[in-house]
Amino acid sequence: MHTTRSKRPGEDIFGLATLAVSIVLLWQSYEISGFSALSSPGSFPMACSAVMVLGSLLVVRDNVRRNRQATTTGDRMPIITLTGVIFMALILAYALLLEPLGFLLSSFLFLMAGMMLLYRGGVVKTLGIVLLALAIIYVVFRLIFQVILPEGVIPERQIMAALGNLFGGAR
Amino acid sequence: MEALQYFLISWLDPWLVFLLAAGTFAGIYIGAIPGLSVTMAVSILISFTFSWQVNDALCLMIGIFVGGVYGGARTAILLNIPGGPSSIATALDGYPLAQRGEAGEAIGLSTVMSVVGGFVGILALALAAPSISDFALGFQPRDFMLLAILGILLVGSLAGESLAKGVVAGAFGMLIGTVGLDPLTAEERFTFGMVQLWSGISFIAVMIGMFGVSEVLFQLRHMDKVAVKQDLSRIVPRWSSVRKMLPLSLQTSTIGVGVGALPGVGGDIAALMAYDYAKRTTRNPEVPFGQGAKEGLVAPETANSSAVGASFIPMLTLGIPGDAVTAIFIGALFIHGLNPGPMLMIEQPHMFWFIVGGLVLANIFLLIFGLTGIKIFTRIVEIPKGILLPLILLLSVVGAYALNNSVTDVYWMLGFGVLGFFMKEYGYQVGPVILGVILSRLIDENWRRAIISEQESLGSFFANMLTSPLSLVLFLTVIVILLSQTPLLGHARRALSRAK
Amino acid sequence: MKATFIAVVSAVVVSAGAAVAEFPERDLQGIIQWGAGGSTDVVMRAVTPHAEEILGRSVVMTNRTGGAGAIATRFVASQRADGYTLLMGAENPQTYKVMGLGDMDYSDFTPITILARGVPVIVANTDAPFDDFAGMIEYVQANPGQIRVGSTGPGGVPSVVTAMLESAVELPMTAVPYDGDGPAQTALMGGAVQVLPAVMGAAIENIRAGRVKPIVLIDNQRNDLLPDVPAVTETHPELEKFLPWGPFFGIFVAKDTPEEAVAKLREAFGTSAEQEGFRQLMDDRGFVHMNITGEEAEDFLTRFQSVTSWLVYDAGVAKNSPEDFGIARP
Repeated sequence: MHTTRSKRPGEDIFGLATLAVSIVLLWQSYEISGFSALSSPGSFPMACSAVMVLGSLLVVRDNVRRNRQATTTGDRMPIITLTGVIFMALILAYALLLEPLGFLLSSFLFLMAGMMLLYRGGVVKTLGIVLLALAIIYVVFRLIFQVILPEGVIPERQIMAALGNLFGGAR
Repeated sequence: MEALQYFLISWLDPWLVFLLAAGTFAGIYIGAIPGLSVTMAVSILISFTFSWQVNDALCLMIGIFVGGVYGGARTAILLNIPGGPSSIATALDGYPLAQRGEAGEAIGLSTVMSVVGGFVGILALALAAPSISDFALGFQPRDFMLLAILGILLVGSLAGESLAKGVVAGAFGMLIGTVGLDPLTAEERFTFGMVQLWSGISFIAVMIGMFGVSEVLFQLRHMDKVAVKQDLSRIVPRWSSVRKMLPLSLQTSTIGVGVGALPGVGGDIAALMAYDYAKRTTRNPEVPFGQGAKEGLVAPETANSSAVGASFIPMLTLGIPGDAVTAIFIGALFIHGLNPGPMLMIEQPHMFWFIVGGLVLANIFLLIFGLTGIKIFTRIVEIPKGILLPLILLLSVVGAYALNNSVTDVYWMLGFGVLGFFMKEYGYQVGPVILGVILSRLIDENWRRAIISEQESLGSFFANMLTSPLSLVLFLTVIVILLSQTPLLGHARRALSRAK
Repeated sequence: MKATFIAVVSAVVVSAGAAVAEFPERDLQGIIQWGAGGSTDVVMRAVTPHAEEILGRSVVMTNRTGGAGAIATRFVASQRADGYTLLMGAENPQTYKVMGLGDMDYSDFTPITILARGVPVIVANTDAPFDDFAGMIEYVQANPGQIRVGSTGPGGVPSVVTAMLESAVELPMTAVPYDGDGPAQTALMGGAVQVLPAVMGAAIENIRAGRVKPIVLIDNQRNDLLPDVPAVTETHPELEKFLPWGPFFGIFVAKDTPEEAVAKLREAFGTSAEQEGFRQLMDDRGFVHMNITGEEAEDFLTRFQSVTSWLVYDAGVAKNSPEDFGIARP
């Protein structure tokens, strides 16, 4: 087993946070139906959260123990790099813009920004890759699998209908 | 003789052969993309093929089903992102194999073994369907509960460095599974007054987040790491390595048949249980499990493929769906004027053998398509990460959105992605979380059904459990595994020796 | 793959071809309350293709499950009332108010068509120690709590039927809840429950195969598909006031949808539902083909709500009183 893995920054806090969350969940499960019956909706959640509390306690205990005997400095590399933070911010922005801007526009912006950040190729090359990828994804999901992706500002269904009228003729 | 004639219908009609081939081919890619599911593809085909002949529609659907269950392994091996729930267990040892530069051989082996599993499933369907379905029908709520508990013991195999962390993750997963309106009483659980939470948290969203997004975030820290050069000189596995795996693959295929034939339990649980079985029974793997053991790849791939054939057993004999996909097959038969139910085999015997024939042909195509084109497919891992990572993220978002056409699932997916990333960093495995989510409802509902049936009496619950042969066997298996195989015993032994 | 693709694209393109500026100008969206493969899903996917031809546009169908259909219902209500978003649902919203699942029901929608109604029938495991309704009452009363009856949760068809029967006779059974009538039937065949109030459409094949035995039909007349099974009113005429009662499937749009769009949709789906193939499908499965719309449909919905709400309320499984919402007693 990998018991030699050195501790990462923030691991203690994560362990304590897990414990706190599990206690809240135990309390919430009790709130569902109390100890009314073995078959009550809250019985299984209560059992699970109790197990989770116990597990978290053991983890915290292990962390404390390890703190006492810790001598190695180990891997102190921060968990999140600057690139990571920027990329996460991009993801967040993408998620928030998905509905107001629509799938096509927001995905285009996200892919461009993401690839410029991580790939650092030329703008034209990136643009080409992004447009190709978007076209494939749009055809597969929207046209073949009929997933109605958020439309946002681009009136896709009208454009599709207009294209249809153009090629299909009135029927 | 008539059976053979029906069996060959799809073999002799070039159009049907083409549909099966096209379905299998499309299925591999549908299955490989996380977020495009076989269930989704097949349900769209229902209205799309409404005006078709029933045989044509069925051939296309069978092809997609067979290809799709297999296809999930591709992305699980190459990117550590399972294409679907059936391939979660495949990622555990498949991805480490790719990390060692053996992706080509891993995919080749998974293909051959999937086909082996597929044929075992078909054989069970063709030869023993009525008796297997009677056996499956005999499962009482408490038996489903025991089976699910057997599944949850897998946490011991998936926990990684610390059992405590595995237990925390597993319990957390089960709690996620209970969110929403309780399916039995419509009571709100962990909804915090939000209507969006009524239908619960989609476990596919959790899966895509915990595997896909967390993997992307994880890779961001290792942008400089050069992609592993893949050795593609050998795709078709050596006969000797196939033969070595054959005994194991037949055993795990049997697990796939048994679990797959149960109504409401599908290939995902079968694959996980088979993985666990392989890990417990393989004495000396060449490579330890979790670091690229071939046994850990073969077991889930054979089991989820044999579960495909097995899921048709309750469907064709009783009109009961074996899993989500066969539920849609039932709808398709219904729309095309056949009445799926116990009379189907008697009134429409050709349907049974036609489907068996189609499954066989689809598996043959799977072998062909699975072993060709691997070289191109494997290139995925050689795409620069700067391009690959944003694309994976985009696909995860679209996939999560497509589940229910709602942005809520996208937020959940991203949230669990970030959580999964931190969990991985701190030595918690994400596997137990997914396991918990999958098994949560099975345990919760069946425990409650069982205890309601016994009128809330624990005494008669245990009394009946110990007198029913099936329940007793399951119960003893749970006890034996709990005592002998999990590290519990090891801990106890060590504690004892320390005490001495 | 390629063929599928071309076929799909051309289907989209062709079906998108129609005169501009007239409803529908673009593709429609159909929101199905229940999951893929369920009876609501299958009925909707069967009736829609022909309606698409008449409308000249595709209807993209999506399953939005959860909260006994409440999620889908709320979603359609929140969309613009322009007729482009259809709610394809079952009877459930008519009990949301009393079951505490929100303050919405079908009075917030305009019915396009109510396609069909199911007839409930009590079925029993073949090993059950009775063969008819009188025998069942006698056995259940002699062995209180021993007989397990399948249920699909409060407000589901089995719970309403049980409530209806209990308004006439005392039936002390243990209700075991399942996720839907499919799993409940499986449990019935496997003997986990001995009795189940099911919809005839879902039980008919199992009855024909002798896997389960029919006890009594919950209707005011016998049915052609099961001519030997008595209707419950033959022995219990006091139930007449609740019947006919049964779960239904319907297509709806939001309340303020323009008249023109409603008329066009009614024409399309109404014609499609009259098709021989669809009628046959409903008949074979034991559904009563209805295809009613307008005032007739609204009356049906009101009556259904009143019967069901009061039954579940009187049986003590409802959270709210129907009186709070002005639902009259039947």
